[in-house]
Amino acid sequence: MAIPELKIPDGWEGRAPGGWDWQPLWEAVEKGHHDFTSEFVQNSIDKDIDPRTILDDGLFPGFNLQGDRFSEQLIFIPEMLITARAMKAGLALIRPLLAAKAEKPLGNFVIGTVLGDMHDIGQSIVTIMLENAGFKITNLGTDVHPDKFIEAAREEKADLIGFSALLSTTVYYQKVTIEEITKAGVRDKMKILIGGAPTTQEWADEIGADGWGKDAIAAVKLAQALIQEKREAWA
Amino acid sequence: MSTALTIDFVTAKGGRTSVETEPGTSFLDVARAADIDVTATCGARGKCRGCRVKILKGAVPPPTIMDEVQLGPDEVHEGFRLACQTRVIADTEIMLAPPHAEGGHKILGSGKDRGQQAGIDMDSGVMKKFVTAAIPVDEHEQSSDIEEILTATGASKSGTLAPDLLRKLPGVLREKRGAVTVTTFNGDILDIEPGDTTEHKYGMAFDIGTTSIVGALIDLDSGEQLASVGDVNPQAVYGGDLMSRLAFAQFDLPALRKLRARAVQAVNDHIKEACEKAAVAPEHIYKVVIVGNTAMHHIFLGIDPTYVGLAPYAPSIRGAIEMPARDLLLKTIPNAKICMLPIVAGFVGADAMGAVLATRIFESEDFRVLVDIGTNGEVIMGRKGKLMACSAPAGPALEGAQIKHGMRGAIGAIEKVHIGEAVTCETIGGAPATGICGSGLIDAAASLLKAGVLLTSGRFRTRDDKSLPAALAARLLGSGGKSEFALVLAQESGNDTDITLTQEDIRQLQLAKGAIYSGVLMLQRIMKVPIDEIAELQLAGGFGNYINTESAVAIHLLPSIPLEKITYVGNAALMGAEIALISETERKRADVLAKEIEHVSLAAHPEFQDIFIEAMCFPEKKVDAHFAEAEA
Repeated sequence: MAIPELKIPDGWEGRAPGGWDWQPLWEAVEKGHHDFTSEFVQNSIDKDIDPRTILDDGLFPGFNLQGDRFSEQLIFIPEMLITARAMKAGLALIRPLLAAKAEKPLGNFVIGTVLGDMHDIGQSIVTIMLENAGFKITNLGTDVHPDKFIEAAREEKADLIGFSALLSTTVYYQKVTIEEITKAGVRDKMKILIGGAPTTQEWADEIGADGWGKDAIAAVKLAQALIQEKREAWA
Repeated sequence: MSTALTIDFVTAKGGRTSVETEPGTSFLDVARAADIDVTATCGARGKCRGCRVKILKGAVPPPTIMDEVQLGPDEVHEGFRLACQTRVIADTEIMLAPPHAEGGHKILGSGKDRGQQAGIDMDSGVMKKFVTAAIPVDEHEQSSDIEEILTATGASKSGTLAPDLLRKLPGVLREKRGAVTVTTFNGDILDIEPGDTTEHKYGMAFDIGTTSIVGALIDLDSGEQLASVGDVNPQAVYGGDLMSRLAFAQFDLPALRKLRARAVQAVNDHIKEACEKAAVAPEHIYKVVIVGNTAMHHIFLGIDPTYVGLAPYAPSIRGAIEMPARDLLLKTIPNAKICMLPIVAGFVGADAMGAVLATRIFESEDFRVLVDIGTNGEVIMGRKGKLMACSAPAGPALEGAQIKHGMRGAIGAIEKVHIGEAVTCETIGGAPATGICGSGLIDAAASLLKAGVLLTSGRFRTRDDKSLPAALAARLLGSGGKSEFALVLAQESGNDTDITLTQEDIRQLQLAKGAIYSGVLMLQRIMKVPIDEIAELQLAGGFGNYINTESAVAIHLLPSIPLEKITYVGNAALMGAEIALISETERKRADVLAKEIEHVSLAAHPEFQDIFIEAMCFPEKKVDAHFAEAEA
């Protein structure tokens, strides 16, 4: 088994003022101390550290460490959620600054739970992981009508669209949503990912999704692979 | 490794016979082998109470579903079992043909859990009146059969008669020269029979559950229970759990018809069986009260349950329903009244309403909480004047599903775990362990937590952790997410494999217990009820009987409440249906209560995530962190 380790980004020491120490922020995210995280991130912004640097060097390491541990099943949903909560607190401060700099995202990703499904705990974890991986996320929330997915996909020029379903009764709407996307004539413009506890690769194949993620980590890897595939297809 | 066990049969008169036998043999077979007479009217099929025995000494074997059905929760609790269904697990002393539990026949109000029900007056709404009506004779001043009957009964309103009654009227009136018995329900004429049948007035109560359908036949004059029936829900072939049953019927009317036909058939079979058992004519059943979760309720009525399975889980109707049996194809008289108790919400159904009625939580001066531990359970909290409910779906882990060595509570299942210097597991029947059942899972987690093998986050300590005694560290197999703790080693198990609890099993348990505990925490928080203000926690549903409450509290499946405040209330849903059957006052009360119970959607609540995080973890110590925080 791979024991997850704290991965410190290359050159991180040189990207902050002299004597600056990211260690407390890594730990705050890892342990889920969201107040401390906000405070530290705001402090970093006030010191004119580049927002991208704060994200990459300050917030990522702790979050990724927990993400890897989650993937290795060393930690469980509660620990992942409190780390995600701290991460969200930090991201809330960074996001407007990144948007202002108009960084080019890895891809546009529209995400939501399907019509009739209110369960978004897994989705909130996937969202942050995708955001960390460099995707621009449009999170439509829960109980999303197929039309709303189509509308958002058009507006956001979505490269990828993902929808989760947590109940045996709501997986049906994954099928419906794909059918509606096809009917709307935008199916070939995007890759579709599905996920959720009752779903399987077979189900994804049956309803014509491009991929199925068994967990958050798998979903991110899949999204990265699919965006690559899409780029290559266009190249 | 079968060792001979000794069974001592004693009779009520003091006779005693000792017999040696093998574990796993049914008590009935043991008795028969020794030429001891045991009445088995139904042919040892668990369909009657004839072979009832009472365990006096020795381990009481777990009840089978037929024990529960035939004997009811009170007798099961007191150690009564059906000899044909129960298998020998230990040296035992049993009493043959013991007297029934206190009070002879099971009457509503008997038994310690039903004390309060004793106060319920008989008021079924069903009235029978024997009269001798004049047979119309005067051609000049015309009368009619029905007018003469109504005059004789003294009924003020003219009343409309159902077509089947109209058609049989001429014959009925004249058969016994005008002597007829008129049966009414809240004033509506249900039946007119020739002669005096006023002694025969019965009703049935049913709980249509996802897993099983159980019912009781009750005398509407005395309140006495004359027969109980039950079996697995035959819809189960189309999906064992509730959500997959709903998915089967989703947007598919032929599938819905299949499910409905099976439920109706089952209820009809049960009515027939109950009547045969009690020697009651099915045409003397006038009122049937049915409870069930919202999905079962809708399917039974033939209402498309699709939207019950999709947020916001809206039922098609919530109020109480009353309709004639002919509309539901039930095989009583066509006009018998079928009453469905009201629904609170999509996942707090008529069964929960029945439980509320039975536990009298709405009469309590102090806060009480009712917890139904099940795949789709619910939590109801409150006191007089204020009740709140939420759904708490634990999923199937507590039934042993999705657990590596999980099994149902059968012989060989680990049900108790003690970890001290060594690891000791008790299995059902004392047989070599072959797996672990839900109660064992809870007990094991509590012991591992206490021994420090399990951290509050739900993670196993690593094998090389110096703080663990060597004997326990040695039982930790694998590592990281693939860790397992060996409860029983292969050489001692009943299937030559290590019986382990895996890290993944613990995660499943955390999800299951987290669902229930977050329901309790959420209602506590919304109603601002600190734990020490809860006077009683009532456990309902079949599973509640077997769990070790101390362990359930230790892992925060249940809140940190003194154990003496926890009571087991049995199948409260069916009890509630029985109460509504014998009392119209209570049935009407249910309709009012259902509207007053406030439903809370957990997932939609802004604090849900925080509460869920807390509920999924195991408690730190004895301190209730949640309330320390809430009160700060």
